[in-house]
Amino acid sequence: MKVRVTDIQHFSLHDGPGIRTTVFLKGCSISCPWCANPECISSKIQGDFGYDISLEKLEDEILKDEPYYETGGGVTFSGGEPLLQIKNLESLLKSLKLKNINICFETSLFVKKDYLNIANFYADEFIVDIKLLNKENAKNILNGNIDQYLDNLNSLDLNKTTFRIPVTEYSLNDEDLILELIKKYVPKKIEIFKLHNLAKKKYEILNKEFYYKEVSDVNLINFRDKLNEFVRTEIIEI
Amino acid sequence: MASVKFINIAKSVFFKLEQYDFTKKFLIYSLITRKQNWKNKNLPKTLTGALPNYAHFYTPSLKDSKGVQLKNLFSKLDINISKDNFIFTIDEFKTVNYKYRIADNLSIDYSKVLNTSINELKEQFNDFDDYSLNQMSTLEAIEILIDRIVQKLNASGRTDRQELIDYFENIKTDKVKTFKEALQRILFFNQLLWQTGHNLNGFGRLDYVLDEIYNRDDITKDEALGLIKQFLKSAHSYYEYKSNSLIGDTGQIIVLGGLNGENDYFSNDLTYLFLKAVKDLNQPDPKLILRYSKETPKDLLSLAIETMATGVGSPLISNDEMVIPNLINFGYNAQDAYNYVVSACWEPAPVGKGLELNNVDSFVFIVPLNQLLDSEDLSQFSNFDEFLSSYKNYLIKYTNNLLDEINSQNWEMDPLLSLFIDDCNQNHLDFSEGGAIYNNYGLTSVSLSNTINSLYNVKKLVFDDKKYTLKELNDARKNNFNDEFILDDLKSQIKFGMDNDEILNLTNEVTEFVSEVFKSRNNKFGDKFKFGLSAPSYISKSNVDASLDGRKNAEPFNVHISLEENNDYTELMRFASKLDYSKHRFNGNVVDFMVSPDFIKKNFEKFTDFIKLSLDMGVFQMQLNVVDSKTLIDAQQNPDKFPNLIVRVWGFSTYFNDLPKDYQDVLIKRALEHEGKSN
Repeated sequence: MKVRVTDIQHFSLHDGPGIRTTVFLKGCSISCPWCANPECISSKIQGDFGYDISLEKLEDEILKDEPYYETGGGVTFSGGEPLLQIKNLESLLKSLKLKNINICFETSLFVKKDYLNIANFYADEFIVDIKLLNKENAKNILNGNIDQYLDNLNSLDLNKTTFRIPVTEYSLNDEDLILELIKKYVPKKIEIFKLHNLAKKKYEILNKEFYYKEVSDVNLINFRDKLNEFVRTEIIEI
Repeated sequence: MASVKFINIAKSVFFKLEQYDFTKKFLIYSLITRKQNWKNKNLPKTLTGALPNYAHFYTPSLKDSKGVQLKNLFSKLDINISKDNFIFTIDEFKTVNYKYRIADNLSIDYSKVLNTSINELKEQFNDFDDYSLNQMSTLEAIEILIDRIVQKLNASGRTDRQELIDYFENIKTDKVKTFKEALQRILFFNQLLWQTGHNLNGFGRLDYVLDEIYNRDDITKDEALGLIKQFLKSAHSYYEYKSNSLIGDTGQIIVLGGLNGENDYFSNDLTYLFLKAVKDLNQPDPKLILRYSKETPKDLLSLAIETMATGVGSPLISNDEMVIPNLINFGYNAQDAYNYVVSACWEPAPVGKGLELNNVDSFVFIVPLNQLLDSEDLSQFSNFDEFLSSYKNYLIKYTNNLLDEINSQNWEMDPLLSLFIDDCNQNHLDFSEGGAIYNNYGLTSVSLSNTINSLYNVKKLVFDDKKYTLKELNDARKNNFNDEFILDDLKSQIKFGMDNDEILNLTNEVTEFVSEVFKSRNNKFGDKFKFGLSAPSYISKSNVDASLDGRKNAEPFNVHISLEENNDYTELMRFASKLDYSKHRFNGNVVDFMVSPDFIKKNFEKFTDFIKLSLDMGVFQMQLNVVDSKTLIDAQQNPDKFPNLIVRVWGFSTYFNDLPKDYQDVLIKRALEHEGKSN
């Protein structure tokens, strides 16, 4: 069995607890115009972006850093949308679980409920994005169905979940909706961050248009303060 | 560039003149050691700076015994009483005279200095043999200097002069009584070493040595911290004079913490206070090494990392779990192994027990490989194993020649060091003649990484992929890689520092082989040779033709155990933890990596975990360069903006501005590569 990845990054400090290995899976169910990993959107191999790796090799790569997982770290499946390949991943997840490796999924939740259910079974951690909540915008900007997202939220174990919010004009527009959602679904913590333009070069190579509009620090801090009334919220740099 | 070349030339001339003309020798020596205008890197100024001081130069006649020479020298020193702080005075224009190389780059065991007196030492030398007479004269020489310092103190306006006078008088008659007195006494004996031509004088385990006196003394932690800061400032004085081959290379290392037995980790208030003092002072010298074990308290490791994060360049971390078993297996007594200190960079050895010359020479792995490529018919090798065995044959020749050359060296008689090195006094034999318990010679490696990469390139490109013939690669090498395609191929293969079995096996095979050759040899004392994989001389020894790793003629070699082209810190650590440091290979094995100050600050806890887990996994030693490329580039262009920017060079930390340009360039290149900004 193989999965398609773009990169496997050791010593990831920002994708969950402890020191982690992050696996970037290729292919996504939505297409955020600010995506930091645009090479992970298409499920096709694009030049140097993307390769297929057997689960055995992937497991070896993940286990290389096992000594570093001792302080809460482990593996994070990111992407792209990692849950799109979850059926192919399943035997690896089983094996990692038996070895007590902490497993985290960083997902947008725009996926079939079946996929989420499999992930739920193996996950120790979820990082779930809240990008925007307006139905029209979800359709037009992300190319996603927000009802699917909201429905999936009901199946999520919130004790395992960190919400991550890229702060854009869209998320700020949906501020009230987001705050309401947080009241209903209280996660472990929230991480918010500004967009960065480090992916610019990748957009050039992929010949894609890059959305990059920075929000002001004041807006970022205000937003954080409002979220902080419900749950611990950190501004992070990723 | 000019200054480093000049120094190398001056040094070689100096050693040639050694047997002949003392005046010339001394003039050149003065140019090297006075370093008056190194900062300006200006040769004519150096010359004009040295010449006016020529009248102050003094060195005793070799006709007298060593002890009498010391008496003559100490009678003539100009003594400088500072207005405040401890007394630390060196007369930069007067030094010992000598026929042979002075054995140095050691730490003495300062507990011996603190717990004895000159009178007590004298009791051992009632006989009239040469050794006893020499030791008596040496002790009398020290008394002469003490008397002269006391006289000067009396005449000084210092309000605390009586206290200091008591400290100096006590050296003759008593053990130390207080913490402050102990610090002054350590400085005094340390000063004697510098004054008598010893370079790279370490301080050893000061937290451990001072433990009892500190506990007995009735001082607060704050008072102790204040005294330690004063001590460090005094030890920092004569910084340029003390520097060896580059400014900052003083070897003034203070060793902190450490296992005293299995699962018995020592640390005390002073361990923390020394770290705190260095963190607060932001001066690159003296430098710290923290001896780490699994038992090291978390808050101590955190403080060490906070100290590194200030950019002060230390502490370096030495992993007792790796070092001590290797010392014991090599043949050191367990108690001595647990009480190890390090030579000027990080090479471990028991303290105060031997002529442990850990930096006696450099072992340049690439030299025999280039010799092979220059001399053999390259069409004869039908597979990589044949090529590798041929390299091993060249390694044997190279090793034997090098060790023969080292064995032909004599050491200058040294009654001062012999006083404090076991068992010279019992054996009535000078330390230079084998009076010490241990007499092992240590070498450091240069270009191991380049050599492994070269060997791997041959294996992969010539024998596995058959992309080039060996002759084609070698021709490209001889043309200094004018052919960009070949150069790209050579540089884009897997490398030393990557967690790859082929690279690891090749590295361990080559070092194991050298270890076996070392094992077959003894030094002139009948003791052993040892080596480490760290590479202090990656620039000064780099005047070697291009090599098959894609390094061009005379380009600097790779630094220690490092890997810049990738941000994957864990890979380098995994690699380092899988290297074999056993048998003769423990003489300093440092992983060297770059990290930006910002990165540590933002990820402090996870970074601390990373350091701890890396050490627990089996990393031998590590040092960090906490800098970013932007700052370094800015500092090179605008030195005035960054007077206090500190970097680590090979085994020491120094001001970036004091470095010659080629050393600055290497740091910038590494920082850029590390940050993924190369090419």
